[in-house]
Amino acid sequence: MSVVFRIWPRRRPARERARPASTIRFATGHLISAAGLVGGVARNQAGAEIGRIKDIVVRWDDAAYPQVTGLVLRVGRRTSFLPAANIAEMDRSGVVLRSARLSLKDFERREGEIQLIDDLLDHQLIDVSGVRVVRSSDLYLASIVGTFRLVGLDVGMQSLVRRLGPAQLRRRPTPSRVIDWSTIQPISRPGEPLRLGRTRQALHRLRPAELADLVEELGSAQRQAFVSALDPDVAAEVLEEMEPEELEELLTDMPREQAASLLENMAPDEASEALREMDEEDRDEVLEEMGQVARTELTKLLSYDEDTAGSMMTSVTVTVTLSATVDEAIAALAGFAEDRGDIDGVLIVDDSGRLIDDIPLFDLLLADRSASVGSLTGAPYPVTVQDHEHIDDVLERFVDSRGTSVVVLDDDGRPVGRILADDVIDALLEDHRLGRRSQ
Amino acid sequence: MTDAGTTPPNHAAQREPRRRRRWRARNLLFVLGPGLIAANAGNDAGGIATYASAGSQFAYRALFVMLLVTVALVVVQEMSARLGVYTGEGLVSLIREQFNIRLGFFAVVCLMTANIGLVISEFAGIGAAFELLNVSRYISVPIAAVVIWGLVMFGSYRYVERVFLIFTIPFLAYPIAAIVAKPDWSEVGKQTVIPHFVGSRGFLVMVIALIGTTITPYMQLFQAAAVVDRGASPDDYRSARKDAVTGAIFSNVISMAIIIATAAAIGGTGALSSAKQAAEALRPMVGGGAVALFAIGLLGASSLAAAVVPLSTSYAISEAVGVERSVSSRFREAPLFLGLFTGQVVVGAVIALLPGNLINLLINTQVLNGLIAPVFLTFILVLANRRSVLGDAANKPAFRVLATVCVGTVGVLALAVVAMTVVGWF
Repeated sequence: MSVVFRIWPRRRPARERARPASTIRFATGHLISAAGLVGGVARNQAGAEIGRIKDIVVRWDDAAYPQVTGLVLRVGRRTSFLPAANIAEMDRSGVVLRSARLSLKDFERREGEIQLIDDLLDHQLIDVSGVRVVRSSDLYLASIVGTFRLVGLDVGMQSLVRRLGPAQLRRRPTPSRVIDWSTIQPISRPGEPLRLGRTRQALHRLRPAELADLVEELGSAQRQAFVSALDPDVAAEVLEEMEPEELEELLTDMPREQAASLLENMAPDEASEALREMDEEDRDEVLEEMGQVARTELTKLLSYDEDTAGSMMTSVTVTVTLSATVDEAIAALAGFAEDRGDIDGVLIVDDSGRLIDDIPLFDLLLADRSASVGSLTGAPYPVTVQDHEHIDDVLERFVDSRGTSVVVLDDDGRPVGRILADDVIDALLEDHRLGRRSQ
Repeated sequence: MTDAGTTPPNHAAQREPRRRRRWRARNLLFVLGPGLIAANAGNDAGGIATYASAGSQFAYRALFVMLLVTVALVVVQEMSARLGVYTGEGLVSLIREQFNIRLGFFAVVCLMTANIGLVISEFAGIGAAFELLNVSRYISVPIAAVVIWGLVMFGSYRYVERVFLIFTIPFLAYPIAAIVAKPDWSEVGKQTVIPHFVGSRGFLVMVIALIGTTITPYMQLFQAAAVVDRGASPDDYRSARKDAVTGAIFSNVISMAIIIATAAAIGGTGALSSAKQAAEALRPMVGGGAVALFAIGLLGASSLAAAVVPLSTSYAISEAVGVERSVSSRFREAPLFLGLFTGQVVVGAVIALLPGNLINLLINTQVLNGLIAPVFLTFILVLANRRSVLGDAANKPAFRVLATVCVGTVGVLALAVVAMTVVGWF
């Protein structure tokens, strides 16, 4: 039952990750704590109290440090909006209004704006620089060339404790663990659209494996939103990096069409592995939504038993017949630009489709363009495995070959796919983990 | 299962395919899902002592109260599951997001107090179990504390917890024991269905203890965390609800069986004073082995909860604070998580060693839990009422009334006990 709680790390523990130190460039003395500002007094020029600060509104655009557009004030029983233009001074304990007379408008949420206290404080956010999900204990504002902006996020426990204290203590920033706001990515609340617009750039600097780590840290509703907000091709790459069980949960929960189109974008071997994890019913429904080509290919991969060469191979192969020229072989490669990671060489087959040789890309590149590929064939012949052979045998064969891939053949000797070193690493890693678990 | 239709080739079958092994592990966990876990959480050391004491002191009269408590438990567990499914976050995290920090802190203090009470009762249960086997608790409790702490810290706990879980099976014998004991079924039926209340302080305290042991804050945390971790989405709400409801009902069927079996064996002989007495309820079924069987069940249930309760609480709080929460991290990396866990185990074990009657200690901790329960329940109720949290899944008017009545009643009863205790001092 403790398995319910993720206290045993499934991937690398956080401490092993590269975590570039993000420093804040503003002196502590100039920082204003957003949490401390709540309850602060808004005064007019004469020094009379107009209301109390309830929330801080910032503009939500591409700016690295969002600009404060105004404050939500509680004036008597009403909640009013005080535009930033009407603020003469702001310090840790409150604000002074610019004009003596003031028309306070009732507060309404506006598109493109976000409230620091209601929407961000104490909520989960993504720290892009550290590749982790954090929870904010405070948010810091600072004045940059005359405008107040959101500059930092505090994740320290010290700030949480400080906020329990009296107002004097609460207002003093304790930036022990502050992250520069420009590397922060908010996460949507369930049911709301993800606010990816702003730092999408920062997110896209992450590698798919890092994004996959983040996705796995999120709750199911947030995952959906997160994956949907990514570029479809990036999303597919991210899914390829996820743990199979986590991926299965994610795909089962999302609309069938979306799951189908993501799977179509994934490498076929990774897609079939994910489908394998699903219930039969879910799997059939997802396959139903796919295009004809992808469905046929994945159905074929799924027809192999688990833990056989066929189930771990990628079915992407570039095949030419003996009579083709090197030029034609290179032209054939051009159509597979998207799958470049899965292609190690060009397979040469005879007229009945049986494998003759596997020409590494390197050899192809150095060969005379007009020569026939037949002239490149010869010993050493490629290491091959049968599609129904067990993974353990594949591993042995792989070690023997000292190569980066082995070719998978069907019973008639026709190539049906290729197993690459990364597939082997996945298999070994899984063994390694299981081995450790069962100790 | 994914591949039920295909037969693996022979050599693959002999080798025990990797992925299949993983699936089997998951299915096992599914069987031991929140349902059975909820049952075990309700029927830990404190639960057994309280239900048995209720049966021995008031015989079947406590059954009607249990019927009401069941309704309340179902309502509360359903809300917790719904919050987990629709928000994807743990309860403590939700409290941090939704309430101001001082209220949130108050909730956590209440939760910690209730949980320390619970951990004390688990170690008291371990002590009582060993005393039945003639081992002094001054030996057994410190050893148990070190062993449980070590198992969790050094990671092999996951396997041991299955053993503990199997140890608790004897308690599933209670429904059979209740039948074998040949209770007066017409009396049982009458006392369950016909509303009644005994107007004494003793009865009121017992009611609070029953509430406290059945509706523990820890169970709500666990329920929400369980659905969140399964990655349950709003589409899975119906099955999550079914699981929460059946778990709650199943748990209370066992509880009521304990009351009936004890009432039939030693009903009306006054408050329970020793674990040996409680074991009498199993005698009609298993004869001379009753004491040993009871001791094993008590040991399993207590040990399981002595690890899981502090672990899940530390996890929920660390999650809400947003700090590292992995048992494989070093103390320097996860001071809050490991500190909370260690602190709870130490305090629980030390207090369980203070001289005094273990059964009284067990029941008193449940009373404490019952007094705190309404506070935590109010937080859950408010969260489940908020449309800003749950959207269209927020409590509907009728459900809101029912839930408010449940929480309110628990609150009024708790206040009454406090008032009577204070009055008793003068």
